[in-house]
Amino acid sequence: MPDIAFVKPALPRAGALVLPLTEDAALAGLGKQADEATGGAIARGLDAAKFKGRKGQTTTLWAPGAGLTKVVAVGLGKKAGDLAASGAEAAGGALAAAIAQEREATIAAEGLAPGLAASLALGLALRAWRFDRYRTTEKEEDKPKLERVAVAASDATRAKAAFAPMQAVADGVFLARELVSEPPNVLTPAACAERCKALAKLGIDVEILGPKEMRKLGFGALLGVAQGSANEPRMVVMKWSGAPKGKKAGKPLAFIGKGVTFDTGGISIKPAAGMEDMKWDMAGAGTVIGLMAALAGRKAKADVVGIVGLVENMPSGTAQRPGDVVTSASGQTIEVINTDAEGRLVLADVIHYCIEKHDPRFMVDLATLTGAIIIALGHEHAGLFSNDDTLAQRIEAAGKAVGEAAWRMPLGEAYDKQIKSDIADMKNVGGRPGGSITAAQFIQRFVQGRPWAHLDIAGTAWATKDQPTVPKGATAYGVRMLDRLVSDHYEG
Amino acid sequence: MIEVRFRQGPPGEGLPCILPVAPAASPRAVVREIAAARFNGRPGEVLDLVGPPRRILVGLGAARTPLGFERAGAAAVLAAGEATGLALDAGELAPEEAAAMAAGVALACWRFDALKTRPVPKTPRRLVVHVRDAAAAEAAFAPRAAGVAGCLLARDLVAEPANRLTTRRFAERLAALEEDGLDVTIHGRAWLKRHGFGALLAVGGASAQPPRLAVLRWRGVLPIPPVAFVGKGIVFDTGGVSIKPAHGMEAMRADMAGAAACAGAMLALARRRSPAPAVAVLAIAENATGAAAYRPGDVIRTASRRTVEVVDTDAEGRLVLADALHHAIAAFRPAAVIDLATLTGAIVTALGHHRAGLFGTDAALLGAVAAAGEEVGEPVWHMPIGARHREDLRSDIADIRQCAPAGSGASGGRLVPDACHAAAFLREFAGTTPWAHLDIAGLEAMEAAHALGPAGPSGFGARLLDRLVATRFEAEP
Repeated sequence: MPDIAFVKPALPRAGALVLPLTEDAALAGLGKQADEATGGAIARGLDAAKFKGRKGQTTTLWAPGAGLTKVVAVGLGKKAGDLAASGAEAAGGALAAAIAQEREATIAAEGLAPGLAASLALGLALRAWRFDRYRTTEKEEDKPKLERVAVAASDATRAKAAFAPMQAVADGVFLARELVSEPPNVLTPAACAERCKALAKLGIDVEILGPKEMRKLGFGALLGVAQGSANEPRMVVMKWSGAPKGKKAGKPLAFIGKGVTFDTGGISIKPAAGMEDMKWDMAGAGTVIGLMAALAGRKAKADVVGIVGLVENMPSGTAQRPGDVVTSASGQTIEVINTDAEGRLVLADVIHYCIEKHDPRFMVDLATLTGAIIIALGHEHAGLFSNDDTLAQRIEAAGKAVGEAAWRMPLGEAYDKQIKSDIADMKNVGGRPGGSITAAQFIQRFVQGRPWAHLDIAGTAWATKDQPTVPKGATAYGVRMLDRLVSDHYEG
Repeated sequence: MIEVRFRQGPPGEGLPCILPVAPAASPRAVVREIAAARFNGRPGEVLDLVGPPRRILVGLGAARTPLGFERAGAAAVLAAGEATGLALDAGELAPEEAAAMAAGVALACWRFDALKTRPVPKTPRRLVVHVRDAAAAEAAFAPRAAGVAGCLLARDLVAEPANRLTTRRFAERLAALEEDGLDVTIHGRAWLKRHGFGALLAVGGASAQPPRLAVLRWRGVLPIPPVAFVGKGIVFDTGGVSIKPAHGMEAMRADMAGAAACAGAMLALARRRSPAPAVAVLAIAENATGAAAYRPGDVIRTASRRTVEVVDTDAEGRLVLADALHHAIAAFRPAAVIDLATLTGAIVTALGHHRAGLFGTDAALLGAVAAAGEEVGEPVWHMPIGARHREDLRSDIADIRQCAPAGSGASGGRLVPDACHAAAFLREFAGTTPWAHLDIAGLEAMEAAHALGPAGPSGFGARLLDRLVATRFEAEP
């Protein structure tokens, strides 16, 4: 990530100058200074390019003079007074590509409130992220070069202070994206658990359980999924104790993630076409890990536990079979009709463990759970299921505020009936109709009536196209939403 | 529909008698039997006492809602089995409650035996309801009976196979509704050509039966713009050139359930003489294969003048709805327009067989539709139309694409949010009129006996629309 500093407004003598401008605004501040220094070249250039300041509009003026390589004007849309954080972020994201090839850039954000200047910088950072660990032959001209960004702000100190927690959240987002982007031969369950150890540096208590411990705990459902793979399963329990001491110890908030590091479907094997996507079947876990990093990084004043169940779902001589009956940690028996409905089996045991060990105030689970949710909603909204209207509304609102949309889906007895089994307490699938709903009904059988929300992120975990603050690839959906949920309602 | 009579005084010994029972309120006469059978009076619980006299106890549960009473009446019918008639002992019920139970009985007694030539099990032909105040109960029953009649009409139409309910016969059945006070206009090919209904003509072009646009009007008395219903009436859907797989294709005789529901709703409004003006515009066609079939890749000019690039001839419902929506809005300037269609397989994947998908542009209208559905046991769920859903329909050569191409979805191309795409498509033709779209695929027929009827066509939507009009469109201006 480029180095971002908040500075007093001063005209740079080199590199790129970025001018965030509202619709039909006249040049002011550094923009005006630069225009004067270049003998009016900037104003003329913007006029010739018909730059109007509309949202997302960018115009580049090359070598305008005064030592600058280029001037990039980026549109903010209507008046600055009405600009929201999301607009500033989108503008920051829009200009990322335009300055990627510069070593250094100055952003003339002194016309924005310090908080919005910070949001602009956040948008830039989020969009500029790149996963290039495995590129060895990339040409120099294709590599991004941006090393330093100076954000000129009217009050640099306040902007910097506003940016600090945003940076922590961005780091959480980057961690999640990185984990999801890693290929499955690298990010096995054990390797992912190993990476979680680094969270101890942020003050998170990290506990890793392996197959032996999980057998002792009776994790029949999770171990059934894992038994066909040469890669052993892991469960990682991450605890952040940030709530003010001295007050009566409240119950922790719990976030639970599905971490299937690769999903072949198992014996109920998936078709070959598109199977490479299944490396992101641990995006739920990725988000929880990134979220913990974000909360600890900004020292959130809350007690939070994050638990991820990490397995690899493979077909082999030792794999579980369609028709197998497993006993979950809760004691409930499950008839495994389809080994490709494995995420809910992992969650069943982890959720039960979370309730027994941590007695949480609420549980939010995230999982790339069903193809059905993509058929239902597409890629703009995650599916949200919950037994608690207040929790559900808060999640939806938090997501809306940060551009991570969720859509409430129904639950109900008629759907629950679909997973009735003839020989066990339940089946792990309920037929094609309402597939994401019956999956949620399955999970609900393990929450013991506690406040709970389930986010089916199968459609939102991976972006096939660049978006304003999310480059193509792993989106880390949920990190910002749930961080916002905690900060809006659960810190004290 | 079953013949319903209201009589004052307790039941005689003649017919099997339905006896409603609230929890912990056992009628004296059957206290011992209730205790022995551990009958708790819960909703849906039934206890069949052969007697004689035969008594069929049904639980009412604690919450006494009209829908609850309807379900109780229906549950009794399911348990009753073969019978020529039934009695209902409603002496302890209020007139509204008795009326609701009677409506439930009527819904559950529906059968489609017209095509059977051998003797069939007898279903009750009459119901005698014993009440304290016959006049009050009759008055309460009249509007309910209208809704039931509408639902049963829809079921009858949906049940008819496609070789009998051809486009022409469907139109004739609709024209016959003039007997109930509706104005019916049937537009044929010549009119459709003259007015540029390119979508309906294309979809219906390959069939031996011509497409039809049926307009049903109920004048009402209020001096307000009408509410408009628009229905997909595909009498049989082969898929066209993008032909469906053979497995299960027989179900496609029900692909006109949306239009049937609209017709049923109009009948209900007429039967109960609703003060609200209403109009239904039904797009009727057969989506057949043939030399004159329309093709993937064709660009059609719709009645609205917008051009549409055809991608999949099996996404024909949204095409005919586009033309019907345009006509409903342009010709009648309605206060609101609601379309119903067995539109997408995707909505069945999304919501299964328990809720219809609801999309639309007006929050108040959507709320009213959802509430009406809850009240009549036809539940829906609001689904989104996102910006990306519309973007996915961008066409290189026409104003809009009809759907996303096959194989363009996630996971090797298989996963496409087609219900949302269809809604985004239809929204283009709704303009600024408050609009709601009900994707009722998966709800039009039930595999097993359900709360308000036997296995088979459900008539889903007819009573919902009737209820919607009653709650939202009958206010004085």
